[in-house]
Amino acid sequence: MAGTGTILVVGGGISGLTVALEAAEVGNEVVIVERNPYLGGRVAQLNKYFPKLCPPACGLEINFQRIKKNSHISFYTLTQVESISGGPGNYEVTLKEQPRYVNERCTNCGACEDACDVEVSNDFNFGMNKRKAASRPFEMAFPMRYAIDKAVIGTPSQQKIQDACQYGAVDFTMQPRTVKLNVASIVWATGWKPYDASKIDNLGFGKVPNVITNMMMERLASPGGPTGGKIVRPSDGKEVGSIGFVQCAGSRDENHLAYCSYICCLASMKQVTYIREKNPESKATVFYIDLRSPGRYEKFYNKVKADANVSFVKGKVAKVEAGANGNVVLTVEDMIGGGLVKQEFEMVVLATGMEPNTATDKVPASVQYDENSFLLPGNIIPAGVAKKPVDVMSSGQVSTAAALKAIQQVLAAR
Amino acid sequence: MSSAKMIQPDLDFVKEITAQGGGESLKKCFQCATCSVVCNLTHSDKPFPRKEMLWAQWGLKDRLMGDPDVWLCHQCSDCTAYCPRGAKPGEVLGAVRKMSIRANSWPGVLGGLVGSPAGLLPLFLLPVFIFGAIIMGLGRLDHLHGPIVYEKLMPIPAVDTVFILTALFACLSFFLGVTKFWKAMSDATGKTGAQGSVIPSIVETVKDIIAHKRFDKCDVAKGRASAHKFVFWGFAGLAVVTTVAIIYLYGFHWESPYDMKNPVKWLAFVSMLSLLYGIFSVIANRNANAEKAGKGGYFDWLFIYIIVGVALTGTLSWGIRLLDIAPLAYTIYFFHLVFIFCLFAYAPFSKMAHMVYRTTAMVFARHTGFDK
Repeated sequence: MAGTGTILVVGGGISGLTVALEAAEVGNEVVIVERNPYLGGRVAQLNKYFPKLCPPACGLEINFQRIKKNSHISFYTLTQVESISGGPGNYEVTLKEQPRYVNERCTNCGACEDACDVEVSNDFNFGMNKRKAASRPFEMAFPMRYAIDKAVIGTPSQQKIQDACQYGAVDFTMQPRTVKLNVASIVWATGWKPYDASKIDNLGFGKVPNVITNMMMERLASPGGPTGGKIVRPSDGKEVGSIGFVQCAGSRDENHLAYCSYICCLASMKQVTYIREKNPESKATVFYIDLRSPGRYEKFYNKVKADANVSFVKGKVAKVEAGANGNVVLTVEDMIGGGLVKQEFEMVVLATGMEPNTATDKVPASVQYDENSFLLPGNIIPAGVAKKPVDVMSSGQVSTAAALKAIQQVLAAR
Repeated sequence: MSSAKMIQPDLDFVKEITAQGGGESLKKCFQCATCSVVCNLTHSDKPFPRKEMLWAQWGLKDRLMGDPDVWLCHQCSDCTAYCPRGAKPGEVLGAVRKMSIRANSWPGVLGGLVGSPAGLLPLFLLPVFIFGAIIMGLGRLDHLHGPIVYEKLMPIPAVDTVFILTALFACLSFFLGVTKFWKAMSDATGKTGAQGSVIPSIVETVKDIIAHKRFDKCDVAKGRASAHKFVFWGFAGLAVVTTVAIIYLYGFHWESPYDMKNPVKWLAFVSMLSLLYGIFSVIANRNANAEKAGKGGYFDWLFIYIIVGVALTGTLSWGIRLLDIAPLAYTIYFFHLVFIFCLFAYAPFSKMAHMVYRTTAMVFARHTGFDK
């Protein structure tokens, strides 16, 4: 178990994993704390990475292997940091772990899921479908183990689930528990959530059918998603033939997120390729204020732009209305072609930005944030999107830098 | 682009917009065009106000001065509420309108005075001096015994002479301004208007204005449209009262104050209430909407306070006379004349001119099919 000299990494997404591995692979003791029942964070929800368009499962798999093989790393899932006292070199940290009701004997046979009659909203798929209250978080989940939602407690399903497991893996006696750790350094990598699109009252989300967010699009396109990877409309299951992307949906907007999230342009370009690959007849239009495709991403932009069925229109969509047959009508001023344009699409994707989780879940210690709630560097070291909006590649860089800072704190305390 | 065109930015113009009166936020605009989409009044060919924001940032004064859209905007402030950068297009166009009034009004020096706080004192003192000179010159202060009758202080022919001259001056100034503005619009848009009379366009436009057809399309400033209706109908009522009073006086030699049973009296009373209620609603709306829509500049507030002055002194002249407090009644009446003078003499230069320039732009748009 962790003793003095340990590095605590809060958040088990791609940033936290990177910090943990970089530090542990040079011999430091590392503890990861993750509030979900699985590691992998937002990346686990993606269908593909840009610009190489390989599945994130690949990158996560490598990292999970590295964790498995590394005796210096331990982790807690379903756990949050409750309090922090002390300072670099000697922190006292209290963790609160919620019960998983499934122990390490789980073989992923799925019998508990079959036995369970209680359904809950599937947050992993942004509520686009339901899942059983006893389920595997996602197909590649690490730890590869089922988790049971509190919702079954006290229902007939509880006993059914208990009886269904042949391996003694279901354990309803589990209670929330408090864990105290002494650590030398804390890295905060709690990542982000998609900005709540329903707050953008002129873009129709939650009011106009078939308006979804970019992260919902990732789940729609993903083989493990609610439609098995078919890009179809939520309202009627119709295959999408024309799609509009609304860039800066709530981003660079002082009424919502005042900053640029950096990733949404490339994410939309990537998602254009999803639909273009699945449906050769499909047409996609991206409405933008400015496009960001820095460095090598420019190539990717040029590739997407070269597709004759893809258009880029300069002008911010500021009105979204329901059209006929479940279609969506966007209004925009085409600043280059000139004039107000109304264009109808079968589905519309709002390219919403990343809001740091530190906007709502503050660090339980004395720290400073910038005006957009990103964590400023201090004794507690920020990494990934807790620090600034980054893509996966940049998060690797930011997180490696954070690991070095953490190692320095550990060495200084010796 | 068929040919290269050298752009001549007028940097002083940009500075003037950003210096005072609502245009301070201009430079925050990053040309996303949200404003043009959320605007309920814009047209689809070359929508406003996105292009106006660009022209203003670039100092393209000539384009803005000849741009009917600057005046087709009713400052609903829907653009300002949805603007992602706090650039307040509604406020910026308000500042551009102020400069449009100044650029077109004659003589220009008065435009400069009305537009800046430094001009406030001399402009206010001018009518004080004129009316003071009449009262002193005619020795009227010695005639104020007995029941309060305002003619004792200021003989009707003297008042009428001043205001007829003022009105003639305002009309001449407006005529020159409108002519200049119409030419600027024709030059800038390349539209000279359909063949035939402009009269039908004027009639239709006036109908729209009376119905507040465009103003009623506003979302954020919904309250402003109704406040404007009260002010508008208040003034309309008072215009009728004034006309009837002139007919009474010169046609029938009936002098005011009229009997309480006279319907003109009641029309005056209702109009005054409408004006008071309207102008205080304007103030309340502006304060309530300040965060979303912006709070306006000196130019806006000067006009609002002149109307407040006219309405309050007018109401009090009547009320204090009934209470029979002579010195106070005569003093208030004096300032009532001063405020009315400010309202009319400075109309071509103050925000009051919006009624002429906006009407002109609406007629131009209708006549030339500009906003189709």
